[in-house]
Amino acid sequence: MANKSGNAYALTVLFPILTGLPKEAPDGMNDQTPAALVRLQLQRLAVNELSPMARVPNTYLSRLWVLDDVPYQGRPAGLEHLKSNYLVFSSNFHGELDDYLRGMWSVIELDIRAILKYCVGFDRVTDVTTFIDYVKRCQVETTFFFNGSSDEPLAVQLKSLYLKQELAKFAAANQGKSAADLQAAFKEFVARVQPANLERPTWKAGAYHLDRAVLE
Amino acid sequence: MSNIAGKAYAMNAITPMRWYTAWLNRFFFWGSGRFTSFLGGLLTLSLIHYARWVIIKPNQFPRLSPDQPEEQLKYHYMFFFSNFNGSWDQYVDSFSSAISGGLDKFWIFNIKYPKSIPMLPFHRYITANQIWTDHYYNAYPMASSNDVKSARRVRDALLAFIPDVERATPQEFQDKYNRLLIGLQHDLSQMDANPVVSLAASAVERRLRREQGLSVRSS
Repeated sequence: MANKSGNAYALTVLFPILTGLPKEAPDGMNDQTPAALVRLQLQRLAVNELSPMARVPNTYLSRLWVLDDVPYQGRPAGLEHLKSNYLVFSSNFHGELDDYLRGMWSVIELDIRAILKYCVGFDRVTDVTTFIDYVKRCQVETTFFFNGSSDEPLAVQLKSLYLKQELAKFAAANQGKSAADLQAAFKEFVARVQPANLERPTWKAGAYHLDRAVLE
Repeated sequence: MSNIAGKAYAMNAITPMRWYTAWLNRFFFWGSGRFTSFLGGLLTLSLIHYARWVIIKPNQFPRLSPDQPEEQLKYHYMFFFSNFNGSWDQYVDSFSSAISGGLDKFWIFNIKYPKSIPMLPFHRYITANQIWTDHYYNAYPMASSNDVKSARRVRDALLAFIPDVERATPQEFQDKYNRLLIGLQHDLSQMDANPVVSLAASAVERRLRREQGLSVRSS
C-alpha cells in the first residue's frame, strides 16, 4: 500500500463541499458559498504551536486547502471543470490510520465540526466511529509516497531535536574546561536534559520560537 | 493563507493526464516504490521531508450523496504534495538542476508538461498548476529535514555514551567525550527560526510574534 512508508503514513482526503448557499453562515457572510466559508474557517485557525493540529498526536506535517477547480492547460488540451469544490486534507503522521483519526477526534472535535460542517455527508457524523468511516469514504489512495525524513514517533523526533540543540549548546559552552570540570558539567547536563525521558524536557510540537520552544 | 510553516514550504500541484497514459505513470511509481534506481536521484535531495503523488481517476473523486453532482471529467489528475526546506525557487531549481531526468519521468505523461529544462517554461508550468495552502502545520518549524535526521543520530549516540562513561575517570571521560563530538560533528548545530526567504514571510512572522506578545527582531 503506497499510503505507508515504514511507520510513516501519507493520508490524502478530499471532502466534497456542499453546493448552493449555506443553511447558516457567520454575520455578513450569507451570500458566500460553503467553499468560501470553509476557507474562512481555515484562515481563522491559529498557527504553529497554537494550531489545532499541534494537539493531534503524532502529526509530522499537515495541510488543508480548498480545491475550487482543476487547472486548465490551454489549447489544445480539453477544458473541463469540477462539479463540486473539495476540502483537501493531507497529513504525514506516525502510525496507523484508525489510531490517528481516533486521536484527532478526541482532541479537536470542535475544530473538526467547525470546518467540516460545510461538507457533504458530515451531518451523519455523530461520534468517533462515524468520523473514521467518513474520512475513509473521502480518502484517496496515495500512488507514491516518498519519505525523506524519519518515521519515528513524534515524541522521539521532538526529544531528539531538543537533545541536538542542547548538546550543541553544551559543547560550545564547555570548551577548554579541565577533564574533571567537564565531567561534572556533563553530569549536570544529563540530569537536566534527561535523554531517556520522552515526556520532558522536550520541544513542544509546532513551536517556532526558541524563547518558548521547550516543554520543561 | 500560507505555504510556509517555519523552514518548511508546502507545495500543491495538480496536473492532468490522459487515461491511456495514466497507467504508465502508475507503473513508473510502482517501480519507484520497489527499485531506488527508478527514483532518478530523488534520494539525493535531502531538503525534502515528505512528498507524495496521488493519481485520481474521474470516478475516484468522492461522491457521498445522490444530491452531490457527479464529476464528468475526461482526464485523470495527478496531485503532487511536497514538504521541503527553503524557498520555492530553491526547490524547483534544485529539482530541475539535480534530477531533471527523474523529474521528467514523473511528469512526462502529463498534458503539456514542458520538461524540466529549460527552467523558465518549467517554472511557468509549476506556477500555473500550483494551488495555495490555506492552513499549513509543521511539528518542528525550526528544524530542516536534515536536522530531524541528524537529531536521531545525536540521540542514539548520547544514549550509548552515557552508560559508557558512567564509571570513567575524568581523563577517560574527556577522551570519550571528544570522540563523541568528533563523531557527531556533522550532526551538531543549533536551530532557530527560519532566515528570511521572502519579505512577505518575514512580515507574517513579525505580525504573528506581535500578536502573541513576543519580541520582534529586526531581521
